[in-house]
Amino acid sequence: MLVIACLKQVPDTTQVQIDPVTNTLVRDGIPFIVNPYDTHALEETLRLKDSHGLKSVALSMGPPNAEATLRKALALGVDRSILLSDRAFGGADTLSTSNVLAAAIRKLGESEEVGLVFCGKQTIDGDTAQVGPGIAVRLGYSQLTLVDRIEKLDLDAKTVTVRRKLEGRYEIVEARLPAMITVVRELNRPRYPTVPMRLASAKAEVESWSNEQLQLDVNSVGLKGSPTWVSRIFSPERQEGEIIGDGLNDPIAAARLLLDRLVQGDMLSV
Amino acid sequence: MEHIFFSVLLSLSMAAFAFSCYRRLVLVAIGKHEYRFDQPLARFKEMLVYALGQKRVMSRPFGLNHVVIFWAFLVLAVANLEFLVSGILPGLSFALLPEPLHDALAFLFDICSLAVLIAVAVAAVRRSINPPFPGARTCEAYFILSMIALLMLAFFGMNGALIASGVRTASPFTPVSGIFASLLSSCLAADQLNLAVSVFWWIHAVVLLGFMNYLPYSKHMHILTAIPNVFLRTMGKSNTQPREEFSEGNIFGAATVDQLTWKDLLDSFSCTECGRCHDSCPAAATGKALNPREVLHAIKENLLQNGTVLEKLAGDAQAERAVSLIGEGKKGATPESALWSCTSCGACMEACPVFIEHLPKIVKMRRHLVQMEAKFPDELLNLFENMEQRSNPWGMAPSERSKWSSQLELRPFVAGETEYLLFLGCSGAFDARNKQVSVALTRVLDAAGVSYGVLGREEKCCGESVRRLGNEYLFDLMARESVAQFREKGVTKVITQCPHCYNTLKNDFRQFGLELEVLHHSELIAGFLASGELQLEGKMEELGNLVLHDSCYLGRHNDVYQPPRSVVQAVTGTAAGEMERNLDKAFCCGAGGGRMWLEEHEGTPINRARVAEALALKPDTICVSCPFCMTMFEDGVKEVPGAGVQVKDLAELVAQALPKTSK
Amino acid sequence: MSEPVKVKRPRGKARVIAGKCIACGARCQSVCPINGVEMSEQGEPVIETAKCIGCVKCVKACPAGALEMFYTPEELAIIASFEKHGGEEIDEEELERRSRVAAYKGVWVFVEQNDGEAAKVSWELTGVGRELADTLGVPLSAVIIGSGVDHLADTAFSYCADQAYMINDSVFRQYRTEPFLAAMCHLIEKHKPQVVLMGATGMGRDLAGAVATRVKTGLTADCTGLGIDAKGNLMQTRPAFGGNIMATIMCDRFRPQMATVRPHVMPMPQQRQGATGITIPESCPIPESSIFTRVLEVITDKGGKDKVDVAGAEFIVSGGRGLMAKENFALLEELAEELGGVVGGSRSAVDAGWLPQDRQVGQTGKTVRPKIYIACGISGAIQHLVGMQDSDVIVAINRDREAPIFEVATFGIVGDLFEVVPALTAGVREMKQLRS
Repeated sequence: MLVIACLKQVPDTTQVQIDPVTNTLVRDGIPFIVNPYDTHALEETLRLKDSHGLKSVALSMGPPNAEATLRKALALGVDRSILLSDRAFGGADTLSTSNVLAAAIRKLGESEEVGLVFCGKQTIDGDTAQVGPGIAVRLGYSQLTLVDRIEKLDLDAKTVTVRRKLEGRYEIVEARLPAMITVVRELNRPRYPTVPMRLASAKAEVESWSNEQLQLDVNSVGLKGSPTWVSRIFSPERQEGEIIGDGLNDPIAAARLLLDRLVQGDMLSV
Repeated sequence: MEHIFFSVLLSLSMAAFAFSCYRRLVLVAIGKHEYRFDQPLARFKEMLVYALGQKRVMSRPFGLNHVVIFWAFLVLAVANLEFLVSGILPGLSFALLPEPLHDALAFLFDICSLAVLIAVAVAAVRRSINPPFPGARTCEAYFILSMIALLMLAFFGMNGALIASGVRTASPFTPVSGIFASLLSSCLAADQLNLAVSVFWWIHAVVLLGFMNYLPYSKHMHILTAIPNVFLRTMGKSNTQPREEFSEGNIFGAATVDQLTWKDLLDSFSCTECGRCHDSCPAAATGKALNPREVLHAIKENLLQNGTVLEKLAGDAQAERAVSLIGEGKKGATPESALWSCTSCGACMEACPVFIEHLPKIVKMRRHLVQMEAKFPDELLNLFENMEQRSNPWGMAPSERSKWSSQLELRPFVAGETEYLLFLGCSGAFDARNKQVSVALTRVLDAAGVSYGVLGREEKCCGESVRRLGNEYLFDLMARESVAQFREKGVTKVITQCPHCYNTLKNDFRQFGLELEVLHHSELIAGFLASGELQLEGKMEELGNLVLHDSCYLGRHNDVYQPPRSVVQAVTGTAAGEMERNLDKAFCCGAGGGRMWLEEHEGTPINRARVAEALALKPDTICVSCPFCMTMFEDGVKEVPGAGVQVKDLAELVAQALPKTSK
Repeated sequence: MSEPVKVKRPRGKARVIAGKCIACGARCQSVCPINGVEMSEQGEPVIETAKCIGCVKCVKACPAGALEMFYTPEELAIIASFEKHGGEEIDEEELERRSRVAAYKGVWVFVEQNDGEAAKVSWELTGVGRELADTLGVPLSAVIIGSGVDHLADTAFSYCADQAYMINDSVFRQYRTEPFLAAMCHLIEKHKPQVVLMGATGMGRDLAGAVATRVKTGLTADCTGLGIDAKGNLMQTRPAFGGNIMATIMCDRFRPQMATVRPHVMPMPQQRQGATGITIPESCPIPESSIFTRVLEVITDKGGKDKVDVAGAEFIVSGGRGLMAKENFALLEELAEELGGVVGGSRSAVDAGWLPQDRQVGQTGKTVRPKIYIACGISGAIQHLVGMQDSDVIVAINRDREAPIFEVATFGIVGDLFEVVPALTAGVREMKQLRS
């Protein structure tokens, strides 16, 4: 049975800034990293590989340089790493991304049963949290988002029980396999690659699938298959630090002013 | 008849001794290759000074006692040689020598034996009352002391009996034996005296041969290994770590004795168990699991237990059978928590009279944990990822690196146009407190008219912490990048604010083929003050009573002790206040060896101990010369309510003392 | 179509405007019909000018305006002559798109509820939905799916909704993706709304992603601003790249236009008691036996505050050495309680034994990203800053104006925390009382 982690290589967003003068993105030497949430998805597939003997696969759709991300997954111990890369896939939004990933999972499922698909709850560059549900819907898998604990995995009964972390509450949910699970960071602590694994992964094969393998309608992938597009980017209003009131002499007024500012700025609602 | 019997006994015990030594040597040979025979003359000199000269032994309490025993032993070795030779060939003895020489030797032997007897008594009393380390009162230790004492007593007994029985004439050159002679003649009959000669002779013989055969199996193995160990020491300072070759199939770090080098193993046999490393270890002193002596002892025990099996095997079979050097509550293993509590301050190595190198072994075991098992304290995951992705320990955006100097208009480093590269280091660029030091340093450099430039956003972390934490793979990546960058930019002279950067740029990067002239700001400023290129204004009275703290990586690891002191002298007009543990005995702030990035759960925090030591001198200012020390002291001082002490970097003192007119 | 001697309108060639590319992910390469765009290592396009046919697709696709058309001076002259006669051309594709899109009408807000209690964000959405609906001149509908939720229709009307689609069935008692997805898609296919809004909450994002995929439309997540452009399309503004930039996202070729909106971002509208509207009962029969997902247990945090993870908290009140003593953390507890948050601390507070280890924020503790982080008596050593600097809003309270914490703070109060914190607690309490 397969357990699949979907990974995305993203720009290290803390380093992305807009040049205040030219109003363009400063991207000099900004490195690409594995989407931090996805590292937890990957870790969980590895844990299930270790605990239940499942075969683990890492999947990523992206440009050829996303191979680095998949190589890292190999260094951490996945059995297979597959890069989904094609000119036609470029410029994809979440809808067309989930189409490509779902197709790849379907293809994997042809030769071996898929048990679980793990995704990070969202990516740090897009923050959409939509690819996971997209995959679940397209494949008809059970959809379990925001999971912070795997309570039980019953491979005989083909069910999985998880804890979902929602606003102010947790839900314990049981669902049928195959299931698509999006994970939050509290789920686990990702492992660090050993050096022998890193060295081995440098030589290991990252498989590459293009649309030739997936045979998707070119109008349903990439930019053409993306209903949304970005019409404009701009700098957020820079919130310069501001000292409120005279806290030394009139703390009560300062506190009041602060609350007013928070409420007016829709940062706080009581 | 007797001498035939003795000849047989001697041959047997010599053979047994040779075999024992061979067994030990074979065990040492399990270790990996390492070349230690360069600079033979310099090595020989080191051996003379430190092994024969006992320079380090003498530097601590009761060292003199050991010197007495050591030198008396060397002298008595001659006497014992004669003893053994004459045991086989009774005619062959010093009696054949001209009388004055013979008398002189007899006197020497007599006095030395007495000296040993007294020293051994002192040692026994000291061990009982004030043991070198807790648990030092072992049977083994007392047994050895008794054997030595017995040997001396037998020597006197034998000589005394010879004199008393009239075989030898009483001589003023053997006063102690003379006393024994009169003692013996007063309580033994004349015919008994001849027997006594034999008895004492045999006691002497048996104890001597027994002791010799016991040596290889005891801590007194050091009698045999200490001198070669000093000869084979790391020349200069042990301030860097060996590189590793990252190709597939290699083993990284060391988890078993066969993964250590032969010198590491020889070190373990050279340990005299004097406990000085333990005494000087900041981790041990504050209640951590680390005990440098036990790290060595564990290696020795592990080698003794498993070595015989390992030597017969090779390759995979060997690897399978090897018992781990790392583990909790196991004989011959060091607990992980002990390995992680090392601050790499080097105090243990500085204290060791026989130049055992503890730190490389600890780092090798850390390397195993990090690189082979990916097992390390949770906090380090963040650190490693941050270092790899953003080249700084906090994971700050590299674009923020130049933010500290945004008001300063610093020049970028350009080879040919700027003489020095000012390498700020991560703390100097990101940490709020240390950014102030960076600003102060640029003011001082400007005042001295130094031509320098910075790398700004392009500066990378030197990787020091990562290397000391055992992530050599990552350090290798980082160092290669930095070295390539330095080469490309044509950097040859560097000023650093951080002793850790200093050590890495100066000593670690050399292994990557980059020789840099690296100056810590204290060295540079001291030079300018001495040459008059930097003028200070008046004496800084507001600094009040100033206490200086030595940075381990400046002092112990690089012998930079004086420059900070002369700078303080120049600024304040008086010598810096010294803590009890200073210079080469200085106590670490607790942040070295990557401890800066680790929580300190066990025992009391090291920085608290060091701050308490400083506060005992009632200072107004504590002067540091390292950003890590700055953080540790600032934190420590804040914990003492009403301490009223400011912590200042050396550069800040100087900047404060610059003439007000110069900007 | 073309006369033999007619001068063609010059099509020009595309080129990259230096410095503007954001490496969006090769949109330009993806649309180029003749494979004339190669991507550099940095992810920037290199246009093979010789191949370019001037179709302008890449220029249109670029989100950053980093591509433009350029013409030779001769071509520019020809264009100028065209301009005199000119006129807008509308192609067939555009016409078809317009008619398809025109079939969708109305603004919907999905009312998120739990046991019949609506999430506040639902009414924040009806507030902004009202504005959108008024701009478009269409009705605003609330979509209520649940069990025992009839009363929510009136609440929705009181919060600006004109009508409510109501599915009330026991199968919807607890939120599960499958039945809600089926019901939502059923309603969308039947009534064709042009805009569907949901809260960017755990439930909203779970459902929205699924619905958008099934109805094959675009979804913009976590919006902080919504508006309508001149052509009547929804402009969805949201932070991207970790909040370092803002992006406005369009979904003009597909319907419905779906967006999730962050809670607390849109203002809560005034409640109009007694307002009425039309309830449209709907049904979407789904047998329980066909659903393979079961909610076994719901655990609420209330009462178990000690177990709350600072890493996931929305409000954190943190204390450092300035707190002076363990007892003083009670002050922070009170404020945290009022805000519905938790108490965290700096390393020194933990080292001093004032807080348990798992509350430590910073380099060697937890990394947090709450909506509001209130740092009290924390100087702001870098070890601490790296653990909390990504918080949406940072409030610093410290006596020392020079403390580095003020460098990262959104708002700072220079003052004694022992005076300011109780004043804040009292202020929040008062606001709550006024409200109820």
